[in-house]
Amino acid sequence: MEYQLDIGAVTRNMGPLFQGLWITLQLTLAANAIGIVAGFALALLTTSKPAVLRWPAMLFVEFFRCTPAIVQIVWFFYCVPMIFNVFWGPIFMGIVALGLNLTAFNAEAYRASIQAVPREHLDAGIALGLSPTQRILNIVLPQALRNSVPVLLTNGIGIFQQSALVAIVGVADLMYQGKTLATATYRPIETFTVVALMYFAISYPVGQFVNWLERRQSYT
Amino acid sequence: MDMTLDFSILGRFVDAFALGLWTTIKLTLLCIVLGTTLGFVVGLLRSGTNTVIRAVLGFYVELFRGTPVLIQLFWIFFCLPLILGVELSNFVSATIALTLYMGAITSETFRASLRSVGREQLDACVALGLPRRAQVMNVIMPQAVLRAAPTLLSNAISLFKESALVSAVGMADLMFIGQNISNNTARPVEVLTAVAAIYFVIAFPLTRVVTLLEQKLLRKFSA
Repeated sequence: MEYQLDIGAVTRNMGPLFQGLWITLQLTLAANAIGIVAGFALALLTTSKPAVLRWPAMLFVEFFRCTPAIVQIVWFFYCVPMIFNVFWGPIFMGIVALGLNLTAFNAEAYRASIQAVPREHLDAGIALGLSPTQRILNIVLPQALRNSVPVLLTNGIGIFQQSALVAIVGVADLMYQGKTLATATYRPIETFTVVALMYFAISYPVGQFVNWLERRQSYT
Repeated sequence: MDMTLDFSILGRFVDAFALGLWTTIKLTLLCIVLGTTLGFVVGLLRSGTNTVIRAVLGFYVELFRGTPVLIQLFWIFFCLPLILGVELSNFVSATIALTLYMGAITSETFRASLRSVGREQLDACVALGLPRRAQVMNVIMPQAVLRAAPTLLSNAISLFKESALVSAVGMADLMFIGQNISNNTARPVEVLTAVAAIYFVIAFPLTRVVTLLEQKLLRKFSA
């Protein structure tokens, strides 16, 4: 089969791709905002004593970690409107679905670093007469946050990549625009290569930054 | 909206689910074997001294780790046949895509475990006058593979989950069949929940095994 490469077919149509990238970035940033905050709360629940709190929190984490992200997203888009009788915009739905997924993964990252906070620090907090809330906010949180930064960033890029899945349920993100453009121009090679490189151009530098951060932390 | 759940409708589709699950498992196992082999070779070569090979393989690994699996799948599915000028069945496309992905992530696992084998062990090999082949095959390799085991199993679980993406290119795996049944019966809540539950029932016990393996190895290496 003869296939003449025509990169112009893509470069003439960068507008929709950048619009898609903008949606992808919005999804990523909003999902990260949810994941970073809610993930910590969830991690506190999974490390707490009472079983009534711990078990549901652990079930939530394991559910999201042990099922494919695409199943979660399709489930969310089809079932949430039916079960809860709510109709949100597609971007908002995407943000919540990705945000919940990231919450579960970040909770695991936080849990590991919460458990790494030395027992003596908490004992010292008790000896100093700090309240449980003060101990969490001033002793556990700063250390756990600092130690989990590399993993949180890695998870953050992960969700940037996973966000491409919302294209399957019709959210007009970068992947979706790429698919549309490839079909409209009959230029799959050029289009999908450019789209892949756009994703790569964002996740690679962040990944390198995480590597650098990890090396730096391992020295201190 | 008034909704009544009726999970009994699932009974009619047991055979279809089983067929989809079988496709998912077949594809996953095949790509685990091919991908891990590829990852082992790539990991070994990237730990070598040839700069050109290292640069090329480094680019391959970063590219597959830095882009969504969905676009890798689309690329192989739509572009590879155009470039090669041959028709590829969707099973072949999916196998190529997932194998390359698995190769990229497992090569990093192998590379990390190769690095974790202490420098002094190699020095000991030299002192004992072992040939290069024995150094790699009998000293470095067994330890590296042992240390890599839990992460490799995690990689395999990831692949099992990512395999659901092949439904997007029309391969009749568990996810694809689930979506079809859900559309035809207009009962997404029951059907999609069942699909999620099936994936969970397989992946969850495996993650427990990973945890157990890690603890066992930790004890072994700290002793």
